[in-house]
Amino acid sequence: MNALERHRKLTAIWASEPGWRGWFSTVNHTDLGRMFLVTAFFFFIIGGLLAMLIRAQLATPQSAFAGPEIYNQIFTMHGTIMMFLFAIPTFEGLAIYLLPKLLGTRDLAFPRLTAYGFWCYVFGGTMLLVAMVLGIAPDGGWFMYPPLSGPLYSPGINTDFWLIGITFVEISAIAAAVEITVSILKYRAPGMSLDKMPIFAWYALITALMILTGFPPLILGSILLEVERAFGLPFFQAELGGDSLLWQHLFWLFGHPEVYIIFLPAAGVISTVLPVMCRTTLLGYGWIVAAAVSLAFLSFGLWVHHMFTTGIPHMGLAFFSAASTLVAVPTGVQIFAWIGTIWKGRPELRLPMLHILGFFATFVIGGLTGVMVAVVPFDWQAHDTAFITAHLHYVLFGGFVFPIFAGVYYWLPHFTGRRRFFHLGELAFALVFIGFHVTFLAMHWVGLLGQRRRIPTYAPEDGWTAINLISSVGSFVLAIGIGMILIDVILHALTAARGRRNPWRAGTLEWAMITPPPAYNLASLPHVTSREPLTQEPDLAVRLARGEGYLATPRHGWRETLTVDVASGRPDMHVLYPTNTLLPIIMSAVTGVFFLSLLLKFYWTVPLAVAGVAYLAWRWVWVLGRKEDLDALPMGHGITLLNAAMTDHSPGWWGTVFLLTANATFFGSLLFGFAFLWTVAPGWPPPAWFVASPVELGFGILGAALGCFAIGHAIVVNRRNGSPLPGLVLTLAGALAVAVACAAMMARTPSPEAHAYGATLFVLGSYGLFHAVLGALMASFLIARVLQGFTSPMRRAEFTIVGLWVGYLSVVGTLVLLAGHLPGLAS
Amino acid sequence: MTDLIRILIAPLVWLAAFSAIYGLHGLICGHGIEGAALGLPMQRLLLIMAYIVAVLLQATLLAALYHPRLASTSNFVSFVSHATGWTGLVATGWSLLPVVMTSYCT
Amino acid sequence: MLASAALIFGLVMVLLVLAFRRRKGPGDEPQQVRIWIIGLGLVFPMSVLAALLVYGLAIGERLLPREGDDVARVGAEGRRWVWTFSYEDAPGRTTQDILHIPAGRPVDVAITTADVIHSFWVPRLAGKLDAIPGRVNTLRIEADAPGTYAGVSAEFSGAGYDRFTFSVTAHDAAGWDAFLKGDTE
Repeated sequence: MNALERHRKLTAIWASEPGWRGWFSTVNHTDLGRMFLVTAFFFFIIGGLLAMLIRAQLATPQSAFAGPEIYNQIFTMHGTIMMFLFAIPTFEGLAIYLLPKLLGTRDLAFPRLTAYGFWCYVFGGTMLLVAMVLGIAPDGGWFMYPPLSGPLYSPGINTDFWLIGITFVEISAIAAAVEITVSILKYRAPGMSLDKMPIFAWYALITALMILTGFPPLILGSILLEVERAFGLPFFQAELGGDSLLWQHLFWLFGHPEVYIIFLPAAGVISTVLPVMCRTTLLGYGWIVAAAVSLAFLSFGLWVHHMFTTGIPHMGLAFFSAASTLVAVPTGVQIFAWIGTIWKGRPELRLPMLHILGFFATFVIGGLTGVMVAVVPFDWQAHDTAFITAHLHYVLFGGFVFPIFAGVYYWLPHFTGRRRFFHLGELAFALVFIGFHVTFLAMHWVGLLGQRRRIPTYAPEDGWTAINLISSVGSFVLAIGIGMILIDVILHALTAARGRRNPWRAGTLEWAMITPPPAYNLASLPHVTSREPLTQEPDLAVRLARGEGYLATPRHGWRETLTVDVASGRPDMHVLYPTNTLLPIIMSAVTGVFFLSLLLKFYWTVPLAVAGVAYLAWRWVWVLGRKEDLDALPMGHGITLLNAAMTDHSPGWWGTVFLLTANATFFGSLLFGFAFLWTVAPGWPPPAWFVASPVELGFGILGAALGCFAIGHAIVVNRRNGSPLPGLVLTLAGALAVAVACAAMMARTPSPEAHAYGATLFVLGSYGLFHAVLGALMASFLIARVLQGFTSPMRRAEFTIVGLWVGYLSVVGTLVLLAGHLPGLAS
Repeated sequence: MTDLIRILIAPLVWLAAFSAIYGLHGLICGHGIEGAALGLPMQRLLLIMAYIVAVLLQATLLAALYHPRLASTSNFVSFVSHATGWTGLVATGWSLLPVVMTSYCT
Repeated sequence: MLASAALIFGLVMVLLVLAFRRRKGPGDEPQQVRIWIIGLGLVFPMSVLAALLVYGLAIGERLLPREGDDVARVGAEGRRWVWTFSYEDAPGRTTQDILHIPAGRPVDVAITTADVIHSFWVPRLAGKLDAIPGRVNTLRIEADAPGTYAGVSAEFSGAGYDRFTFSVTAHDAAGWDAFLKGDTE
């Protein structure tokens, strides 16, 4: 088979469906990555227009441009869109597009999940846009502090749009994070051990792990606040045993890591692009990995620095002040490693490099003002002034937008296969750089003069008029610059100057393919022996196209790839991917019906939507799998591998591990909230305690133990060629017993509307009940699979996955029941 | 997977200790604890003891990461795990320093 | 703080510019790691930050309300969009949007809210402190001289937020006595 025939065959297998249908049924990461990026930049434009409206309003004192009702919606939506609908999805899109190419494989771990996440993002984002068009957008500021955002002071639907829309969008963040984590750990080219991974993959891995542990507190907070608003269960109302500070803790427990979730991918772009611009290699690869890991962890110990003015005792503040200064150290390590990289090489001032220099100038200022506000007494003055607004824009624009522009220009030839023809980009960069600094240096200044953030107007005698006008003029220069970048990019995509392959002479694998990339990425998978395979073997692309790598011969019309051992990069499993399907978009639409029903309070459609999602999820897993065992198959170069369905730790098992990590963080946050309210909130003890019942408790814990034991038994028996059915039936019984115990606890909870104690117990019970029902569904699913002949002693992957879920159910079910019953039993 | 744990363990333990001592501080201030020992108020003493335990734990972890029997076979992973191990130790010493420096319940 | 921040920023910019002018950086890779990563990346920021942290904590300690016999106590209750002030030394007396305090004496302001979160901020007298439902936060302020000091609520509270301001009037000893007796408005 020659290269062209191979290309045709692989394309037939991997391509999306032709025509408009292909947009909706594609599961290909290249397509979805592009769709993510285009959508994210669409939201960037909307968010940018809102920013222009803010600056128009503030340009003159006592502006009558927008009344406070509209202005509050504008700045809330500006922050919300930029954070949730631009920054995070841009990372997701870039990672989804690039990772399989950088890692030398053909697709991400769970292609249908990529598509599902994308559509959840589109539908959730659309909900927020609709709210804005109708003039009923959220208006409580992007961090939505209750009680202002609670049922008493924001009775309208505005806040519900935020809580429900953002939770919907966050499904896509969690989905992408699971996907990215498993893909980086398992889906790499053979030979690519951890130390040979491209640096961007390290950053993406760390970011994804941070999303998995950073987003759940916010999802929990949003759910609790929405439940309070819709059903009157008090969590944040002080007079009913709640505490508005709980929201602040949950929000910033997410909100601070979020800053680094945004910065780290951008740092990954810099670490990738900068060495190529300097014709050298990255200085201190291992140091940078260690610094990024440290940064990720430290960023979880900073959240209270957003709450320095809430009256927390000084030692409490001091812990977070200390951690906040410390976080500058790993950041400094990275900054100086990059500068050292420039010194080591021969820097060339090409367009991506300009944006990287823009990053240095801007981000370093943002970091230094960040250290200032980490000092408690300074923050007591600067908090909630325009100084903070300016600081965060230096961090986010400097730390994200400049590097992303560098990345966009760097990978544009890869996205399109063309070279730049009109050179608008350099002028655009100058405008963006000057406009940005004029806007936000002025804003620092006016903040130090006492201008609060979020005020719609100010008086002429405040003396801020000239500075605000300068800031607004700067912002329009900035907007023109960004508009020119967009025009430049669009012109680039439309003009017909074919580019040559690997125009930057980079060493990473994404350039070892024709551009724009084919649907299958690499005609055969390389064996990686260094961090920069293309530098080592400049003709690698040709050799791979000729089929000299692994999996060079398409067979049976399969979408195939292989996975590797996490640490060593030794091949360990053969993977068959699902193909194009409408299932993801349908499932996200039904998920959308669920959220929309809650939003519009059509409660009778909620159970229908839940049943719909359950049915679709059942089909989702059902359509995979086969009724006969597969032999170990040759992968090329004398390697044969077993299919993933015939292993204990299949990709699905790995995905479950990380999804459960996020889930456990969610549950941990819920327990934290319970303990926080109990010990810190005013308005305790509650009027009535839950009456403990040793019988219910014992029944539930026995059920949990039974489920855990029975699924373990089923796994072992199946492997030994026995019938797993008795074990599975007992698993089902155990899960149902936990469900009954949790339901009983919910039913007997003392009036959840009257006090936060009852409300929290009710939510804990629902969490246990939900997982018990899920466990029961999974056990039933496995029983059906066994009866239909989809499993065998070899085809056993599904057992261990259900085993993880049931084990998790046993732990959380037991903890939920103990949290409810134990205080009553102890007293 | 064990290699990943080697890299993540020390900062993870820092995060746990940091949160635990912040929580302990909240508890101590929320529920008046009386008494004194070793010439120090009970509250301060509890916090300092927790601080010492956290630092010792980190030091043990770091020693374990350097120990040939527990270290990774990959040079790269041992380098990164040593660096993050040091991060854990320094972060514990640094971020919990207020335990001995600031007043606790005002 | 601003000066040292400017200095550090200048250093980074100079290093960047020099990178473009020099043909070759110093030494081999291990030495570069020592200079850039260990020296400039680790040792340099850690020493600066340690000093800053200790300094910040010490200042923070000094600003905390301490016991004393001449402390005047007042209450401040935020409600959208008006502040109501009460006085321990004049029970039953309240003022709206003007807080009266004695000059030259420490004053503890007990800050509460009747509805959403607000923040009590008189920039020239102290930093800000939030009014949180269900809690009382105490802020120590002190005016060195008699006069009027502008104050604002500094936590977003909805449609009337921009107009949510107040002022503090600091009296000399005689004026304060007169105020407590009810002679001044």
